[in-house]
Amino acid sequence: MSTLRDNWRVVLLVVLLLTSAIALFVPGVPPGTSADGPADESGPAASESEQLTNLNYGIQLSGGTRLRAPIVGITAENVNVTQADSSQLEQTVADELDLDTIDVRVRPVTSERSAGAVEVVTKDVTHQELRTALENNGYQPTTVRDGVTPETRQEMVEAVDEKLRTSALSGASVQVVNVPGGQHFVSITAPDRDREELVDLLNERGTVKIYAVYPGGENGSFVREEVLKRSQMSDISAADREGVGWAVYITVSSDAADEFSQRMVDAGFGDGAPCGNYNHSDIQQTTAGGSADPALANDEPGCLVHTLNGEVVTARGVTPGLGESFASGEFANDPVYVMQTGSSDNPAETASEIELNLRAGQLPAPLDLSEDSGSSLDPALAERFKQNSLLTGLLAVLAVSLVVYVRYKRVEVVVPMVVTALSEVFILLGFVAFVQYPLNLSHLAGFIAVIGTGVDDLIIIADEILQQGEVETGRVFQSRFRKAFWVIGAAAATTIMAMSPLMVLPLGDLSGFAIITIVGVLIGVLVTRPAYGDILRHLVLDED
Amino acid sequence: MFEFEVPEVDYTQYSNRQLVAVPLVVLALSLAVIGGWWAVTGAPVDRGIDFTGGTELTIGTNATLTNEEIEATFDEPVVSVQGITTTSESTYENQYVVTFDNSANVSSVRSAAQSAEELTLLGSGTTSPLFGGQNQRLAVIGVGVAFVGMSLLAFAFFRTFVPSIAIVISAFSDIMIPLAIMNLLGIKLSLGIVAALLMLIGYSVDSDILLNNHVLRRSGGFYESTYRAMRTGVTMTLTSIAAMTVMAVAATLFGIGLMADIGLILVLGLTADLMNTYLLNVTLLRWYKYEGVNR
Repeated sequence: MSTLRDNWRVVLLVVLLLTSAIALFVPGVPPGTSADGPADESGPAASESEQLTNLNYGIQLSGGTRLRAPIVGITAENVNVTQADSSQLEQTVADELDLDTIDVRVRPVTSERSAGAVEVVTKDVTHQELRTALENNGYQPTTVRDGVTPETRQEMVEAVDEKLRTSALSGASVQVVNVPGGQHFVSITAPDRDREELVDLLNERGTVKIYAVYPGGENGSFVREEVLKRSQMSDISAADREGVGWAVYITVSSDAADEFSQRMVDAGFGDGAPCGNYNHSDIQQTTAGGSADPALANDEPGCLVHTLNGEVVTARGVTPGLGESFASGEFANDPVYVMQTGSSDNPAETASEIELNLRAGQLPAPLDLSEDSGSSLDPALAERFKQNSLLTGLLAVLAVSLVVYVRYKRVEVVVPMVVTALSEVFILLGFVAFVQYPLNLSHLAGFIAVIGTGVDDLIIIADEILQQGEVETGRVFQSRFRKAFWVIGAAAATTIMAMSPLMVLPLGDLSGFAIITIVGVLIGVLVTRPAYGDILRHLVLDED
Repeated sequence: MFEFEVPEVDYTQYSNRQLVAVPLVVLALSLAVIGGWWAVTGAPVDRGIDFTGGTELTIGTNATLTNEEIEATFDEPVVSVQGITTTSESTYENQYVVTFDNSANVSSVRSAAQSAEELTLLGSGTTSPLFGGQNQRLAVIGVGVAFVGMSLLAFAFFRTFVPSIAIVISAFSDIMIPLAIMNLLGIKLSLGIVAALLMLIGYSVDSDILLNNHVLRRSGGFYESTYRAMRTGVTMTLTSIAAMTVMAVAATLFGIGLMADIGLILVLGLTADLMNTYLLNVTLLRWYKYEGVNR
């Protein structure tokens, strides 16, 4: 027992090494990973590369894309608008600026918000135009600034997150990066996607619309009316059911079901509608009546038309039974709207695309990709970076070993030195695996920095303890060790001091570099370097 | 195998003036280069796309292309084309890093590279001028805070003016010399280099603290203490230089720019540190020990 107590530093080192080995190699140990394999159902590429260790690689070492861009928008602050007036104001501002209401958002004064705000999320409106529009309506904003409200940023993150998750992008993440000075960037990382794919996914403002197209307009034209909006849907799911085929099942929310039925009846669907000759290339059916090849006949009831990003996906009729249930109001008892996709080229894909777009909806505001500061890397090249940087690190360790060997010429001093420095890196890797920090090139540079300071400190310890030959007693050893430790502690404090600003400032990869270096120095000073002192004492005392 | 034992320098042969002359002249030259650069280009160092904004593409090809042919692929003006060494395992025989300034749009240069027949787009990195400006501001703040923090710690450790200021001056010089050499070699400042400069603050202070500690807080004569500190300190710095040289060379060959930058700056800075610590710092301490203390 007493041996254990005397060598508690070495014992602690061994315990930490074992813990790190578990964190690194036993699947499922770090929180967020599963025992059966990598965390979220990753693609095959991710699972292959993550099989050996629990380490998590960033895009520089595994490939993928990161976008970092500001949100488009300007905000008028301190607009004194109440909850009750907010939707009215949204409409008037939108009208005045000639925008869609979706691009204008009023944040009224609420219990969480002491001052109201109005934001416009499009590039085409100047600060002055927004100010004038508000002033015309009797509101006096104090300032109009670039950027959007914190609520919108939060909604943005949630919307992007939803998109990433529903599109089966494995290991993708989104967060807001705050830069001192009030700038905010949305940072989106997606492994195994190139930039174009990620941008497409985000740009899809994915608007699914459900229209009723029916006769009754001027000069025999057709009326197109949006009959069911996203806000009136409570549940959406795509499924392949027997007798129906692929379809999206939309549950109309209970308070909107009656209104929807009434609209359908008003549009003339109360007795059903066959929708025989719908012209897919013309939503408005303007060719009807006049042209040589009429689409819908003027006396036919009409069609339900579903569009995705303005293009018609399907056009369906209404069965007499369904029409009746609209008329009688029975529809509200089981308000499920079935959007069949059987007529499209790929029914399954169309159904899930519509589902995705309805679920994830559109982003609350566009990202300003002209201000993007991101990167994208081919997975094969990333893999080579990974191997080559590992090789670089090993070569650096070899160089260090060689120099200390020619300096000391004593295997019992040099071997523990190199082993200790490597164990520092090993523990650090365990830590990184445990917190599932995505490793990038800058972190590998941090590892090399840790080896560098580590070996420096070990040299200080070795020189202090080995000076003028023998260490006669444990007490002499203790005193020398303490002296060496003062220098090491002071040096570590300055290194931590030098790195700490980087840890706090959002300087991209450099933050990771600083964190790795600081954690490494702490592990070194608190655990591994003292343990080296103990090991050295044994080796030196044994000789006498 | 070669032997290496840190040589004992006979400092008594040289006067304080002679000893400090060399590091001070080097520092003055460096400051002159940086100052001149500032006056001529408007910035103390050439900033890379991390700070000015711009786009970098990594492309691979099995064809042998000249830089001009690569530049012709793009409508946008190309700042530089740099070849990367490839190994037999690489998918492509040749790889290049093509840099554009901040007028280029990342989507359009990417699609130009993707549609070029002989080229394959392997990666891209882009920084918007806005973000670059933020980076620059933050990097200056970061290095500034780190330097001031280090100086305060140095004063807290030794609580006397001359030994503490010796640490601060030598760390300052350790940063300025590599910056000046960077300008002369045409290397542009990147975020990796900022990291290297901060690392340099940490490394440079190690050997200074060691020296001050041996001279001020241990028994024994000045020259004996200095020699002991040198034995340890020079070994430390040499191991770091060895590691960083290997890293710089290997990373350059492998085309890992960030690690190559960090390695090179540290080699330069640590070499400067050897000079600063054992000429400038030692002399200041000697002056303090023999003359300053009694005043």
